Amino acid sequence: MPKMSMTMETGELINFHVAVGDQVKSGDVLFEVMTDKIDMEVEAPADGVIESLVANPGDVVEIGKPVLIMLTETEVMAFDFGDDDQPVATVEVAAPVVQAPAPVVTAPVVAAPVILNETVKAVPKARVEAANRGIDLRTVRATGPDRTITMEDVNGAQLDPVIIKRQEANKALIAKGIEMTRAIAQASFTRSVSANFDHAKFIAAWAKVLRNRPDLAAHEHIGVALIIESKYGSALPVFRDPDRSNHAELVALVASTTDAAKNGKVPVAMLSGATTTVFDLTTYSMSSATPLLFPNQVTSVTIGYESATTKIVSLTIDLNFCDFYDGALLLDALVASL
Amino acid sequence: MSDRMLTMAEAVREAMSIAFEERPEVFLLGEDVGIYGGAFGVSGDMYHKYGADRVLDTPIAELGIVGAAVGAALSGMRPIVEIQFSDFTAQAMDQIANQAAKIHFMLGGALHVPMVLRTPQGSGTGAAAQHSQNLEPWFASVPGLKVVVPSNPADAKGLLLSAIDDPNPVIFLEHKLLYKIPGRDPVPEGATRIPLGVSKVVREGKDLTIVATGIMVNKCYEVAEKLAAEGITITLIDPRTISPLDMNPVFESVEKTGRLMVVQEGPAQAGFINEVIAQLAGSSSFGSLIAPIKRLAGMNIPIPYAPQLEKAAVPQIEDIEIAAREIVKNWR
Repeated sequence: MPKMSMTMETGELINFHVAVGDQVKSGDVLFEVMTDKIDMEVEAPADGVIESLVANPGDVVEIGKPVLIMLTETEVMAFDFGDDDQPVATVEVAAPVVQAPAPVVTAPVVAAPVILNETVKAVPKARVEAANRGIDLRTVRATGPDRTITMEDVNGAQLDPVIIKRQEANKALIAKGIEMTRAIAQASFTRSVSANFDHAKFIAAWAKVLRNRPDLAAHEHIGVALIIESKYGSALPVFRDPDRSNHAELVALVASTTDAAKNGKVPVAMLSGATTTVFDLTTYSMSSATPLLFPNQVTSVTIGYESATTKIVSLTIDLNFCDFYDGALLLDALVASL
Repeated sequence: MSDRMLTMAEAVREAMSIAFEERPEVFLLGEDVGIYGGAFGVSGDMYHKYGADRVLDTPIAELGIVGAAVGAALSGMRPIVEIQFSDFTAQAMDQIANQAAKIHFMLGGALHVPMVLRTPQGSGTGAAAQHSQNLEPWFASVPGLKVVVPSNPADAKGLLLSAIDDPNPVIFLEHKLLYKIPGRDPVPEGATRIPLGVSKVVREGKDLTIVATGIMVNKCYEVAEKLAAEGITITLIDPRTISPLDMNPVFESVEKTGRLMVVQEGPAQAGFINEVIAQLAGSSSFGSLIAPIKRLAGMNIPIPYAPQLEKAAVPQIEDIEIAAREIVKNWR
């Protein structure tokens, strides 16, 4: 709700000129507002898509509070790091650009956390509090003015179970004298497999393997994020419980989502809830890479090119959750499942 | 007699009279301070009480007035200069900034300049651009000057007595709108001093810290009273001496409230109150902030003559009230 006069504190929403899913251009009228002084049309500040309507006609909305949520083109491509309970509004806040893992083969490794090109706005005390409590501010929903994280937001923030467990493990490692404050202890494993699979079959197989390891999951569901490169950058649509999907439907979904992602149009609903990540390097004719772990994930997998008939599958695990033996077993199970 | 309610003009006159009685070397000089009793009636009947030797009417020549005072101060006197409008200190700035402020330091402490320069400042009288300025930052940015901005009669009396005691120059900026208004607190009898360089916590609250100078302290006080009824409580801090500045109560309060608003009458750009923000931002109390710092200050324009525009050019009670409520409501 924009402030249209010095004394305005609230505005009454008269009606919307747009609906969910509408493409709008900068300057298009979004909605009409009545104040004590004037009625005014509020225009789109940029090109984009209407993601949701938050207020209802007749509502009296405080200035600075949302009336609707609109995503710009880049925000539609954004990947949500938070858990699946987070409302879509935070997609705009997070909006990280994922850096592709460097094509270097090393295993096992101790990697620094994933570097993200993003800024999170938070009041100073929220940063202090988050640092003290080990809260990743990127996972906190911002409700303050200009989408700034307030103390209320931090106090209400739920820690991701993965991050909590990792911190506990890191503390144990520190106790052993290893400096692990910010790092994730991880190890990678690599196997050659027959190239007899497509993305749909692969993510279903991987989800099936993870289904048998609830100890590695912090969530009820399994969400496989598939990294898809496009001229807009990396998109990470998330396929939920692919091992439980009808195979033909999954094949169709993966194909349509891949096409959509390449055109910068991943459905917003598919942007959250990832618990593991798959990256197909064969697009680049790469054989293997060390797949880095996202902060709230325990595993990630790459598919590399070896020959026309064989591919290389690399798995990275978080050593706070499982040991080397576990990693080898997981990769074996994945290969067997394929 | 502990509930004497004086105006600031009366309190300042009382402080000067006490100093006149205490020390024979104290005297007052300025335009129309004698027979006329001062442009704003501050010196009143002092001319008749203490005589033309101690209450000197001077020609209209600010550089000469301050120059004479600096010379007298160097010779063992304790002059109190009144400049009719603080805007006219521009005429005397060489004596103020280059002579009075620096002599003690340039001569290795061998000489002192125990001079007080009192001058009315501020807008609200319909006197337009050349008679309405708030020039706090001019003086606060000159090392060697102490700068006092009293917000009420009781403080004005105690601070002026300390200023007259001070061995080096003190600029004493009185808001003209406060001259005729009785303060909230009684003015104690006798020669009670209030030390320079000690901020005053005017009232305490838990939701917002406001630092304000001069007349803005009074406006903020009214807002604090009003918002208290809505459950928003405010800690109001009056630095009283803006140079040297005592920030400790500000740090302590912000650590409790997490929110800071600063209010001054002078223009926002390069204003004195920005110093409060800068020191807070560079302190360990910064991490206590749960809201962006809010600054309310005058507009960056010469004070207009038209009454409505004059009012709009500086923060008013309604502006302070809206800003205070917003910062508390929006940042939790």
